[in-house]
Amino acid sequence: MASPIRILTAVPICDGHDSAINTINLEFIRHGIEVIYLGYHRSVGDIVRAAIQEDVRAIGISSYNGGHVEFFAEVVALLRKRGSDIRVFGGGGGTITHEDAAIMRRKGVDEIFFAGTSLDDMVKFVHQRYGKPRGKRTRAKRSDMELAHKLSEIEDAYASGKKPLTLNARRRMSKAEAKQNQTSNIKHQTSKVIGFTGPGGAGKTTLIDELVLRFLHQNPKGRIAILSHDPSVIGEGALLGDRATMINSQDDRVFMRSMATRGQAGGLSPATHDCLALLARSGFDCVIIETVGTGQEAMPFRKNGIVDLTVLVMNPDYGSRLQLQKIVMLDIADIVVVNKSDLQRARTAHTEIEQRLQQNRRGQRLIDTVAKRHRDPGVDQLFDLISMVGRDRSEPDWHQACQTRGREKS
Amino acid sequence: MSKLGQVIESIEKYNKFVLDQVRRARTDQQFGRDLLGRWNDIKAKTPITRTPTGLPLPRLALPEIDEPGEIARYLFGEGFPGEFPFLNGAYREMYLEPVRGVESFEKNGGRARPVRAGLASGAPAKKLPQAEEPTRLFSGLMLAEDTNERFHYLTQHQRTHRLSTAFDGPTLYGIDSDADGVFGKIGEGGVAIDTVEDMVRLYDGFDLGSPDFSASMTISGPAPIIMAMYIAAAKRRFGPKVVPKLRGTIQADIFKEVQAQNETIFPIEASLRFLTDMVEFTTREMPRWYPISISGYHIGEAGSTPVQQAAYTLSNGFAYAEMFAARGIPVDQFGPRLSFFLDCGLDAEYIALARVSRRIWAIGMRDVFGAGPRGQLLKLHTQTSGRSLIAAEFKNNLTRTAAELILAYMNATNSCHSNSADEPFTTPSEEWIRLAAHGQAILLEESGIFKHTMNMLSGSPGMKAVERAVELAILDEFREIERLGGVLAAVEDRYQRSQIQNAAHRYEQQIYDGTRPLIGLNRYRNGSDDIPEVKLARTPRKKQQLQVDRLAKFKKKNAEKAKRALDKLAAVVERGENCLPALLEAVEVCSLGQITGRLQEVVGRFRPMV
Repeated sequence: MASPIRILTAVPICDGHDSAINTINLEFIRHGIEVIYLGYHRSVGDIVRAAIQEDVRAIGISSYNGGHVEFFAEVVALLRKRGSDIRVFGGGGGTITHEDAAIMRRKGVDEIFFAGTSLDDMVKFVHQRYGKPRGKRTRAKRSDMELAHKLSEIEDAYASGKKPLTLNARRRMSKAEAKQNQTSNIKHQTSKVIGFTGPGGAGKTTLIDELVLRFLHQNPKGRIAILSHDPSVIGEGALLGDRATMINSQDDRVFMRSMATRGQAGGLSPATHDCLALLARSGFDCVIIETVGTGQEAMPFRKNGIVDLTVLVMNPDYGSRLQLQKIVMLDIADIVVVNKSDLQRARTAHTEIEQRLQQNRRGQRLIDTVAKRHRDPGVDQLFDLISMVGRDRSEPDWHQACQTRGREKS
Repeated sequence: MSKLGQVIESIEKYNKFVLDQVRRARTDQQFGRDLLGRWNDIKAKTPITRTPTGLPLPRLALPEIDEPGEIARYLFGEGFPGEFPFLNGAYREMYLEPVRGVESFEKNGGRARPVRAGLASGAPAKKLPQAEEPTRLFSGLMLAEDTNERFHYLTQHQRTHRLSTAFDGPTLYGIDSDADGVFGKIGEGGVAIDTVEDMVRLYDGFDLGSPDFSASMTISGPAPIIMAMYIAAAKRRFGPKVVPKLRGTIQADIFKEVQAQNETIFPIEASLRFLTDMVEFTTREMPRWYPISISGYHIGEAGSTPVQQAAYTLSNGFAYAEMFAARGIPVDQFGPRLSFFLDCGLDAEYIALARVSRRIWAIGMRDVFGAGPRGQLLKLHTQTSGRSLIAAEFKNNLTRTAAELILAYMNATNSCHSNSADEPFTTPSEEWIRLAAHGQAILLEESGIFKHTMNMLSGSPGMKAVERAVELAILDEFREIERLGGVLAAVEDRYQRSQIQNAAHRYEQQIYDGTRPLIGLNRYRNGSDDIPEVKLARTPRKKQQLQVDRLAKFKKKNAEKAKRALDKLAAVVERGENCLPALLEAVEVCSLGQITGRLQEVVGRFRPMV
């Protein structure tokens, strides 16, 4: 089976009209399309960067606030400048006239949908226009594009059931990657890999975005990769929406890839391991992997796997104290974060989780955060802790530090 | 219990008080006789007016009741127009000849842009303004000088100059015209404002300190910065003494943006803090300014039910009142400076939605916040529903808007905007704007429905039934918001947003399955839509480039000073002080985008809710 069609949808900068695109996204998903939704008020640069990193077939833009002729044209022009084969289509109800649409088509836009176009017609268009498998692609001009292409190859190989490219993907490092490694400020070939998991709605995405903000701030030349997951069933669509709220991660120094799990349980995709291995060898200072919202039994990161440090992000509302005993990740995670610690229940949650962790006697660290808050001291603390982890996958030295600190406290 | 919880209690308590009065009027003979005497006295003193056919009619219509219990129910439960709890109207006489309360507006680029004339148009009868032709304002296009020219054209024959300003996308999002990818949006759907110099050009030639001038600005996210630019522009032209005389309204409704319209630029709490700074500043320095317009219109247009619209708007209003009071601003200073903006569609709820809202607001403000009479009034601007209009056989939209207008005036709105029939597919054209404006004139001036008698259509059994049902439903929404921890907590929990989206989805579903008939679309469709050829006026590239060039020049000229001003502003915000004084200095030398950017460094950016 071929991979589902991947497209990116967005609303242009200075435009908050997101109700049409929300409806269209759902319709696309219902018809087997994987939609990476970038959200509203998005710049040309953000849209093109995201589309290239996600290696989508096409970008769908919903514009209701004017300036569409220029905006669409700039997106097409920037894609071409980057040497990308990604296509562009869109619509804007009554705001885009037929005359405008003609100009936009001349400037390289595939299709403009007018008011009254049925959702069925849009779905049909995407399937017909972007549904055929990609042919052999020319070598990418830029390293991020090349990396994106390779990630697609891995995902496609898994989707089609061919022998995975695991070894190749791991072993072969392109010239571009090698060059990056030379220019990057790190010596190691392998990036530090941090895994984030936890139940849906705990605030993983916001937390990661806040950590990225701090990383970019503290490392003026540092580069970071994010591999983010959302659930899907084999052969069906998915909404990959993390980017829409990750305002700080839309940056040239951040390479983000959104993956649908395509039927695999446990919070990751069949292709995750190989994709992660590739990213870890691509010269990033740090690679962050985020699972889908997971249940009690989930154990997405193997011990001694590629992940150096695992962070379990929890919501104070996990139910009774007994429920905590059932959460497997509480035994495995290096750091447990109670996010939304401004909620009333947070103090109880902290106490109960602390006790639960003490049973393990592993020196696991517990941190309270309010990720939605700007400059939250809890997030600062988490960032410092993560920064302490060595890239050599040795037992992180902060275990010792934490225990000492813990004693000082009590 | 939060203030909203107290509001719920105050309404329940007041309703019980009314029932007690009814009972007392029936059992306490002296009390009953007094009420009956007062009632008969008022009826006897009501002036009589004559219709053009010579028919005598009272200026105030009252129910035919002579039983003390029912009289008590009327006097306490709804009150005469202009009397607590203001169910029948905020003022004693409205719409009565000579006509007032009529305005007209334009929608810009498909987005609602209310033009708000001074709410003083609902002032007591003796201060009746001279009869005015319905004003017709285009409110924002291209660059400042283009909009200025349009303002002058539109007001050339008017005694009072009420300008309403729509801003372009970059301005609404607090970014500069030279930002990445916004070039095509410069001057589209509104005027482009980057600097105080643009603001000077925008209102050039108008006497900003005159009591006959007021400026309304439809902008929320960067409202404090834009208002600071307006003040700075006024000071440049008229000196510092003009500040206390400035009249106008700025929308500045942050909750509504987060719930429905998506034009928020700072995190919610920071946005609310800047808003409170602004209210604190204007109540002290600019007593004639309306620093917020609490808006349900965009909530309604985003797809909410009428009850949700009223419930969220009112609860947002109470949350603002709570914030302002917590800052230490006296309720009798900020209360009278709050104004409201609601949608009016065709659903049955609209028969009494604004009436019920006015009553809830009055009771809550009086009994929970301790507001005096002026702070109890829900002063209302209404716009007919843009969402109710459809492209198919679009001329039917005239009838839809006419019906909505009747509903709006039955609810005693203080001012009203009627939409143009061609709005579903284009920025309104001259022809249809004129018809929309004249729709109001026909209703208020030509027809006898509203001009002879106050309360002419109030108080039918059906209206009473709707009032009761709507009030119960609004209180129910209040309870859910209270249960979630109050307005701010509910907003952060996306409660209102989800409810609105869900209602919007149901609405579309009903159109699709035909349970919501739309004539010409899913019922009695004849197939020919007859949509006229659309020609849109776009901002020429040359003008857009001019705006960018001007901005570059301004930034270059002020580079040194800008840095210092921004540092000072950042320090003030870090210290938690009122940002307005520092903003007033900053706008002299910094652009909108520079200020927004620096503030975002300090307080963060808004994280979209999806």
